[in-house]
Amino acid sequence: MSGIGDAADRNTDGVVAGAERTFRSLGRDLVPIGAVAVLLALLPIQFHDSRSMMTVIITGLLFMAYAVAFNVIFGSTVQLFLCVGALAGIGGFSAAILSERGGIPMLVCIVIGGVLAGLVGGLLSWIAVSRSLDVIFTGVVTLAFSLSFQSIILGRRDLTGGETGIVVEAGSDTVLGGKVGAYYVLLGVVVAYLVLFRLIQRSHVGWAFRALRNDEVAAELAGVDVTRYRVYAALVGSTMLGVAGSVFAFHRGFIGPSTYAFADVDVHVLVMLVFGGIGSLLAPVLGAVVFTILDEILISFAQLRVVLYGAVIIILFLGFRRGVIPTLESAYSRWRHRGEGA
Amino acid sequence: MAADLLRITGVSAGYIGEDVLHDAALTVAKGEVVAVIGSNGAGKTTLFRAICGLLRPSAGKVDFDGTDITGLRAHRVSRLGIAYVPAERHLFPTMTVRDNLVLGAFPKHHEPEQLDFVYRLFPRLKERTGQHAGDMSGGEQQMLAVARALMCGPRLLILDEPTTGLAPKLAAEAYAALGELRDRGLTILVAEQQVPLVLALADRGYVLEQGRIRLSGASGDLADDPEVRHAYLGVA
Amino acid sequence: MTAVLLDGVVLGLQFGLLGVGLTLVYGLGGVLNLAHGQVAVLGAIVIARSMDAGMSTGVSIVFGLVAVGLLGLIVDLTLMRPVYRLRGESRVLLGLLLMLGVGTLIDGVLEWRYPIEALTLRVTGDPVSILGVRMSYGSIVASAIALVVGVALFAFLRFSTFGRATRSVIQDEEGARLCGVNPAVVRSTIFVMSGVLAGVVVITRSMTAPITVTSGFGLTIMALIVAVVGGLGSVSGAFVAGILLGVVNTVSAYTIGSYATTIILLTAAAVTIVLRPSGLFGDRT
Repeated sequence: MSGIGDAADRNTDGVVAGAERTFRSLGRDLVPIGAVAVLLALLPIQFHDSRSMMTVIITGLLFMAYAVAFNVIFGSTVQLFLCVGALAGIGGFSAAILSERGGIPMLVCIVIGGVLAGLVGGLLSWIAVSRSLDVIFTGVVTLAFSLSFQSIILGRRDLTGGETGIVVEAGSDTVLGGKVGAYYVLLGVVVAYLVLFRLIQRSHVGWAFRALRNDEVAAELAGVDVTRYRVYAALVGSTMLGVAGSVFAFHRGFIGPSTYAFADVDVHVLVMLVFGGIGSLLAPVLGAVVFTILDEILISFAQLRVVLYGAVIIILFLGFRRGVIPTLESAYSRWRHRGEGA
Repeated sequence: MAADLLRITGVSAGYIGEDVLHDAALTVAKGEVVAVIGSNGAGKTTLFRAICGLLRPSAGKVDFDGTDITGLRAHRVSRLGIAYVPAERHLFPTMTVRDNLVLGAFPKHHEPEQLDFVYRLFPRLKERTGQHAGDMSGGEQQMLAVARALMCGPRLLILDEPTTGLAPKLAAEAYAALGELRDRGLTILVAEQQVPLVLALADRGYVLEQGRIRLSGASGDLADDPEVRHAYLGVA
Repeated sequence: MTAVLLDGVVLGLQFGLLGVGLTLVYGLGGVLNLAHGQVAVLGAIVIARSMDAGMSTGVSIVFGLVAVGLLGLIVDLTLMRPVYRLRGESRVLLGLLLMLGVGTLIDGVLEWRYPIEALTLRVTGDPVSILGVRMSYGSIVASAIALVVGVALFAFLRFSTFGRATRSVIQDEEGARLCGVNPAVVRSTIFVMSGVLAGVVVITRSMTAPITVTSGFGLTIMALIVAVVGGLGSVSGAFVAGILLGVVNTVSAYTIGSYATTIILLTAAAVTIVLRPSGLFGDRT
């Protein structure tokens, strides 16, 4: 699928020169990230009075974070992980259980949640790569994992509260307790994730990712250890999902089986990222913003939202596979070079 | 001209935007056996795939018995009476010899006479009629591939390097069978690296090098041609 | 325990039929139909609505199956065209994600317009005794239908010209083309047929338990597990896997519990993929 990969390719030639270039171009990239951060930071000024609106934008930020993480896993190395929700859920539930049952401090729980999710994601990736599973099989295995996780959550009532879920107290008297505080924490998380994504893209790791996306065999022959890089991508992305999931758990104060379910998380993240443009830095931002707004508009037509998501997936994949940002980028580049000969 | 069963003019074709075959022209008259010789990568397979509809030519025209079949899809070309035996054979591995043969006649239901004819031509296939195609030896698979191609009663049989991987005895047997088919009036176009075998059977031949037809003529003349002898017959 | 095993076989026969459609479509074109169950459930709802409107059971069933067939045809002619134009991994990815969209769309439409609708087919008759176990008449009829349809399908694929052509495309598409088979026609026909098969399963299932608007995804996942364990592209594999997993399902649900059962079935699929990707019968069509 096109749309994966970015427009300005650089070959690294020498670690120091490469690192210099990385930091200089990072400087350039920080501008759009910074602009996004500033714009998003302004939102609570408008909405801090309305609890419901704050919930909406917080959820939007959460999905933005999920989408950046998924961009790392799927966008960078084309691993179809249909278990985004489950990985975030591993973070969320383990953090909640450790906090509630074990009395462990919140921050430690969040870290452990992230690490556990990262390990599971890395393991899934390692299994997929070492058995040379293609896209379909990776998708099916991760989907099976996702649905199994759901069953575990529902089944182990003693541990996870089953259908009723877990109440998480520990976050309520921290900065995560209030809507505004939680919003800015999540915004910080999103910005950090975006910076991390860009760092990876610009580094030699990102170069390896680009190589293996284009042609795995050629990449191996060029010395790229495809196994290792795929697992790295999954490790990092899954940790990001786990952290985001546990931060959210502490903010919301309550998690249940539907918090991290496939239909509630994966479908949305997929749509947001594909809409924005898989592999593009700001695709998660655009996707999350657009679909959070759309969700709000359709708030009174609850079931219609599902219809909409289904229709959007179909339309997107039929006609608009590359996503908004790459399409805009190539249109812009064509416009800029319109005077030049063929 | 009127007896030309197959006529190709100016055909170019290739893969991923780059042509491998350039401006090829050849004719095959009814009842003829025509050879195409050339080394690996010369473009023989590309040429055949372009004729049979597995590849769309980027330029040129393919005419079969008065009908323009340029760019026509493979299953259509097959139904018009051209049977192609590719180098990779493309048999159905877990289907029996008989099922493979019966499919050769698709979409028509096979006539029992066709099956009999093919079994008489290749008795070894009759012995193995219930065996899975994938379990047979290379020589038997090649026989099956040719037999399958014959099941639809084609007017033109195209073979891509039929003796690949065959021991000399089997290769000679294969060409004996082709000779018998020619005697029954079948028109044959065959690509080969084993030049002496094919030139012995063929009426005319073409030499393909780097995607272009460099030489053509009666097979006897080609066999005597010093360049051909040097390049393909290993004669100094 | 015998009762549980027999129930498992009854369930398994239907699972097998459900998985066959999915595995055929994948074997032919690399498309994983994640809307398999949802399309079938749509048929069930059509049947239920028709019966509500007063039509006889027989007519309603025909309506339902026709609806499913038509929907399959429309999806194939519109959405599958761009998918089949691609090759390899791109095709697989696009096919999978497009069908995910279709499944989500159907789920949404059904839950939006007919949230409380469900299909239950009452089959009147006395319980029949098999191996000392009293089986409900409904499950006997369901098994019989599944068995008959399954055998007919098997015979069709083995002995008919079109059936052979279908198997040839699965085994070697280029070889099939050279024999004069048009893979596109085969794919479309089988796609529609797989939908109708799923429709039959939904009908038989409704004889023992109601089919609701939310049943779709669960059926898709079950079909997926059966197809994977049996070997993607293998018809006999799907049947055998279906019966096997049906028995596992009932035995496990009886002894351990429903959530664990779900995990066991999903794990069976995952383990198959990891240890033996070709499934039980992956190399035989």
